[in-house]
Amino acid sequence: MIEDAKVVFVVDDDHSVRRGLERLLRTAGYRVTTFVSARDFLERADCAQAACLVLDIRMPGQNGLDLYEALLDGGYRIPTVFITGHADLLMAARAMKLGAVDFLPKVFDDEALLTAVRAAVDEPPPTAAS
Amino acid sequence: MPPAPRWWWRQPDEGLARVAGTAVLVAVAYYVGARLGFLLQSPSVPTSVLWPPNAILTATLLLTPVRRWWIWVLAVIPAHLCVQVGVVHPPSLIAALFVTNWSEAVIAAVGVRLFSDAPARFDTLRRMAIFIVAAGLVAPFVSSFVDAAAVTALRGGDYSVIWRTRFFSNVLTELTLASVIVMALDSGRQWLTAAHERRSESAVLASVLFAVGLIIFGADGPWIPADLPRSTLALLLLPVLLWAAVKFGPASASLSLLLVTALATWGAHHGRGPFATLPAADRVIALQISLIMVAIPLLCLAAVVGERRRAQTALNDRLQFEALLARLSSTFVRLTAEEIDAAIRSCLAQLGEFFDFQRVALFRLSDADEFSEWHAWQGAASAFAPGPSPPLSFEVPLLARGHRLGKLAIETGTAPPLRSDGWISRVTMIADILGSALAKKEAEDAVRASESMKSAILASLTTRVAVLDRAGRIIEVNEAWKRHASEPGVDSPTMIGIDADYLACWRRASREGDAYAEAVAEGIGEVLGGVCLAFSVEFPCRSNGHERWWALSVVPLSRPEGGAVVSQAEVTERRNTEIDAQRMRQELAHFTRTSTMGELTASLAHELNQPLTAILANAQAARRSLDAGLTDVEELRAILSDIVDDDRRAGEVIHRLRDMMVKREPESLPLDLNLLLVDVIKLLTSDLLIHNITIVTELTADLPLVQGDRVQLQQVVLNLLLNAIDATGDGANKDRTITVRTEWLDSVHVSVSDEGHGLGSGTHDLVFQPFFTTKPTGMGMGLAVARSIIEAHGGLIWATDNPTRGATFHFAVPAQQSSSRA
Repeated sequence: MIEDAKVVFVVDDDHSVRRGLERLLRTAGYRVTTFVSARDFLERADCAQAACLVLDIRMPGQNGLDLYEALLDGGYRIPTVFITGHADLLMAARAMKLGAVDFLPKVFDDEALLTAVRAAVDEPPPTAAS
Repeated sequence: MPPAPRWWWRQPDEGLARVAGTAVLVAVAYYVGARLGFLLQSPSVPTSVLWPPNAILTATLLLTPVRRWWIWVLAVIPAHLCVQVGVVHPPSLIAALFVTNWSEAVIAAVGVRLFSDAPARFDTLRRMAIFIVAAGLVAPFVSSFVDAAAVTALRGGDYSVIWRTRFFSNVLTELTLASVIVMALDSGRQWLTAAHERRSESAVLASVLFAVGLIIFGADGPWIPADLPRSTLALLLLPVLLWAAVKFGPASASLSLLLVTALATWGAHHGRGPFATLPAADRVIALQISLIMVAIPLLCLAAVVGERRRAQTALNDRLQFEALLARLSSTFVRLTAEEIDAAIRSCLAQLGEFFDFQRVALFRLSDADEFSEWHAWQGAASAFAPGPSPPLSFEVPLLARGHRLGKLAIETGTAPPLRSDGWISRVTMIADILGSALAKKEAEDAVRASESMKSAILASLTTRVAVLDRAGRIIEVNEAWKRHASEPGVDSPTMIGIDADYLACWRRASREGDAYAEAVAEGIGEVLGGVCLAFSVEFPCRSNGHERWWALSVVPLSRPEGGAVVSQAEVTERRNTEIDAQRMRQELAHFTRTSTMGELTASLAHELNQPLTAILANAQAARRSLDAGLTDVEELRAILSDIVDDDRRAGEVIHRLRDMMVKREPESLPLDLNLLLVDVIKLLTSDLLIHNITIVTELTADLPLVQGDRVQLQQVVLNLLLNAIDATGDGANKDRTITVRTEWLDSVHVSVSDEGHGLGSGTHDLVFQPFFTTKPTGMGMGLAVARSIIEAHGGLIWATDNPTRGATFHFAVPAQQSSSRA
């Protein structure tokens, strides 16, 4: 089971939130890798591995939306669920427009997150950027 | 008498009529004198025993100024002609005799005037001796040569006989008649004003003299012993003449001699008297020589006695005057301003009475340079006899230290006053005393005016003022203090009156538990002891159930005896206003604080959402594990531990929020502004994150503590930071930072620099005004409230533009007093 478990990447600057989400996703059977910032992600992540990206928007340094755009620009289209503590309609609209799977304002229920992650994982495998 | 300054006198003019009258009088006297001379001529000898015309001329020349002499010469010509024409032959002798008569008078007058200081007075031995030598001896001696020469040349005769008869006759006439005429003018007035007894005595003297003269020179009766020589009998005259000389002076002596001479001449002509046995010509000569021998010592004696008597009188007079002067001087030495008026009135009266003045008035010189009569003394109208001269008036200036303060106006009863020589200088001396008194009076008036001004100022103060002596006892209070002291129902150290021990009163209140009294008593004690230069405090005081506040200030009294001035003013109203203002400020601060927190809602939500998200995720993960039958206890413990941490984190956020929102009384505590800044920055973490702004802190270590209210100062910092965040904006600029700095520059200095657009020119002060805002949603109260808070903490707040871009807001608050920098 563990062998073919999907890998979920979590990027959040908040240590507690990272750990909480990691545990939750693990109980749902995913393998989880966490990153503290956009920069950390760009340095360490193997994008081809990721089945889903849980991305916090408000972070010191490069924010989540900018990272997502950079990934798209780099040809990496990872199904992404945005989370944010600062609900902002404009941001949500922008995220969805860019092809995000979901946009979850903190605080969210486990079902909401897992449903979104599941939807992301079930998306057709990434294709090379057009 | 020293010559008086011209302005002292209003001398009556000597008119033409007066000169003419004198001329007629001289001519008539000359005529009458000549006729008398002829009458006294011995039938057997062609020479008079007395020849009055020459003596009359001598007296005239002595009494009148030299410049008028020619008038008398002319005036006498007709009289001379009337007498001589038809009597004297040849006629040329008439002119010669005119010349010789005048020559004697001129020599006598010039001689006396040359040597005597007062030619018309014979009241001293010196003056009398000059008169006797010049007029009595030299003039007859010289002129008799001329006379005898003229007579022998024009009519013939023995030159030596004529010279001898002329000489003795002229000497006797000059000594008796000339002196009588001269002195009669001076002494006659004295005799008229003399006491009744003296006049009676002089009448008795004249009677006795006449009687004795008759006995000696005229009597020829059986009651006189035939064998008694008449010359011995003549000695009877001596006591009478001495009586006249000693008691009545030179005038009386020469008058007596004149009378005796007349009687002796009459007796001689009738072959009676002491020299009746001699031949006629020798009889006259013997008589003349005898009379001359008596006259000269007698006149000298009279002069000496008179001189002595006058010296004695002058001495007495001077002693009296000096006593008066001493009395007046001492009167004015220790006098209050009230007593000066009475003393000056008394002084004027004493002056007037001493000199027999008619009126004495003291004038003061006003500021407008006008004289006004201040005090006057009027002599009793009946007290002075009307003198032969009209009353005179004169004025003496009153000077003190070179300033003219007034004048003394005097009207004399007679002029000049007979009382004493040198009276004018004496009046001047008294004027000096009055001048000093006047100066003193004016000085005291000035002092009094200044003091009444000071007390009027003190009385008009609404602040209550009391003056304490060195021991803290009240020695003076003003009207406001007295008014307050009479208010009922007040019992505190603010209430006591003069002579009460103010300091002790506060000490007692301190022992009775008055919280402020101890500090007040200590402060007053320090000012009185010279330890500190001023002390002030505000203290409450309950009266009539109301609490009233007083501001008390104590300053040292600058005088050698020490002491202090206490002033108390009621400040209840000001204090209430201050308290109201403080309350208003707090409410406004709270209001702006809560509205500021409203602005922070989004970032606060973010701040809370983080732990809440973590908690929920952890809890649900745990539940899911349990549901799945997984019982990894270590994992569960880790989850629970994370939940507890996150819950605490959320609690802190709530706590910080509540601190800012809750309305409460401000409290003053020692605060470390560095810590306070860090706290506020934590509150803003999410906001900074949202706006993608970095805060750079440059905090100086070991900053001194400040005394203040934590929440209010946090509000100030929060406002400055939010302003800085707003100014920085949401731009795309990547390195957006806000710099927060603390420094120690004699006060604790905090600055917040942004990199926005900076302040518009001219708005550096405006930004702190209420309702000044550049934000569409702002109320414009943030910085105004910040300023009121900083000022309430005794600090300053201001804004500057940065050299490159953006603005910096600064505030500085004083360090806590006990806090010193390490």
